[in-house]
Amino acid sequence: MRGRAAIPVDPPRELTALAARARAAHLAVLASACWPESTADQIPPPLPGFVSSSFSPIVAEVAKRALRRVPQRGPEVVTAVVVVSALGDVASAAQVAEAVDTGGRVWPLMFFQSVPNAVAGHVAARRALTGPIVSVCAPEAGIEVAALLLEDGDADEVLVAEVDLEPADGAGARGAAVLLGLRARSGLGGAA
Amino acid sequence: MTEPVELSAPAGPSGPPGVARGSEQVELTGMAVTSAFGRGLEPLLAGALEGRAAFGPVRRFDVAGRRAQVAAALPGAPALSGELARVIDEACDGAGLGAAARAACPLFLAVHGDPDLGRAAPDERAEHTGDAFAARLARRTGLSDAVRVYTSACVAASSAVADAGAMIAHGRAARVVVAAGYLVEPDQFALFDAGRALALDGRVRPFSAGRSGLLLGDGVAAVVLESASAARRRRVPALARLAGWGRAGDGYHVCRPRPDGSGLARAISAALCRGGIGAAAVGYVNAHGSGTRHSDTAEAAALYGALGEHAAEVPVSSTKSVHGQALEAGGLLELVVSVGALRAGRLPVNAGHLGPDEACRLNLILHRAGRPAGAYALSLNVAFGGANTALLVGTP
Repeated sequence: MRGRAAIPVDPPRELTALAARARAAHLAVLASACWPESTADQIPPPLPGFVSSSFSPIVAEVAKRALRRVPQRGPEVVTAVVVVSALGDVASAAQVAEAVDTGGRVWPLMFFQSVPNAVAGHVAARRALTGPIVSVCAPEAGIEVAALLLEDGDADEVLVAEVDLEPADGAGARGAAVLLGLRARSGLGGAA
Repeated sequence: MTEPVELSAPAGPSGPPGVARGSEQVELTGMAVTSAFGRGLEPLLAGALEGRAAFGPVRRFDVAGRRAQVAAALPGAPALSGELARVIDEACDGAGLGAAARAACPLFLAVHGDPDLGRAAPDERAEHTGDAFAARLARRTGLSDAVRVYTSACVAASSAVADAGAMIAHGRAARVVVAAGYLVEPDQFALFDAGRALALDGRVRPFSAGRSGLLLGDGVAAVVLESASAARRRRVPALARLAGWGRAGDGYHVCRPRPDGSGLARAISAALCRGGIGAAAVGYVNAHGSGTRHSDTAEAAALYGALGEHAAEVPVSSTKSVHGQALEAGGLLELVVSVGALRAGRLPVNAGHLGPDEACRLNLILHRAGRPAGAYALSLNVAFGGANTALLVGTP
């Protein structure tokens, strides 16, 4: 896209759906982000330590964007990270299966990126987020888990990040993230 | 379903700020398990109480070219879906759940994913989502199609139990079946081998001098969690109470634990707070105890952080030393072992011990016939991403 201005694109339906589910669950959407957001979003920024798949880079990018859209929190605000993915990192899973079946090499870096928790831990470490880390397969589950964590007091805010490497519409890998809080606490800052 | 009831944590020891729980008590009314020791709790508990490890050469698939050659696996190549269906049926039967009760009961499933996903043709992958796998399992076992799948690595099952407990306590569900499964297979074996995480001496030695890593093990388990009032109405006795739960993150590293164990300590404190008990009432800790150098040291620090000097006295063992690391299913396998031990009044041995490690000053159960020092047991799990969970179970 060099030399051309980035043109905003419609947010993926995953973002709209996450935000709608969150509001239906009486949660406040404090910030949101997605991938892609504009025509400049072609390849997600590489993530040191993660290889061969855009799964973790997309989670990290939508998380970073959402968290940047609210004022920096102090350590007293406990934020959980919930990763939602129907298939997980299917690109990495297929590569490992092929390597195993053909006698190819399984790279050591693939070890930790084989679980979605790993990139959640990356996001948490970058922003010193000390709430629970959870990975689930469906957006409904992600929002329900977020609501429970908030209600139970294990988190003050929950970042829910969804990624789909192979959307059924064939439109290419995409991701969405919402930062959620209890409605009474929505005054902590930010809005979407 | 009953109306949600919000209640602050019970009076008692203070936990992390803001910790709350609903007012319903949560009971475990059915459970079933399969491990490398065979089907059922009896052979697993016998192995754990005797400190008899189930590790042996891997014969299920080719491990030529791998550094490690050992796991704790059942003979043959059982199918995960079939083993999950069997434990779910057995747990539901044990809890006295008929067809109508099953049909209204949600399934929370902890798995790495559909085992066939990695080898599915690209245009067939949509049939192999975790939810599709769980939905087929729910249909097969007569459970509700309200499934939820947890893939949070080694805290997947314990997170599912914590969430089921929270839902029931808040009155959002009367009953939830939590199931989890991992059967040793070539892909994760290759990944853990490549990551140099597997013990090359063929034993898991939690908290011991000379420990060198983990070993994978089969684990398939199911429990029925139920509100005490629902169980009372059905006149079903509780096997145990799920008294408390806690989840917290490290915010530290992609795969290394925070060395001071403060994330796990917060999870433990939250579980005790929800249970309304102090540290002295904890009579047994089923530790995560992976047998890896940094993780065991951080877990020992976490126990001191949460339990104070009681950490030096409370009996501790990691049953991974006999049944191995069941990954996404580990938390449920170990919860079932903990409940079995509390009910038997005898505690599992921390097998494979070579000698003390000064960084892990714990009261490890090194001999047979250890006895609980209180009515409650803690089952701890940690995972990649700095995820930590603590489940607190008590005798009924």
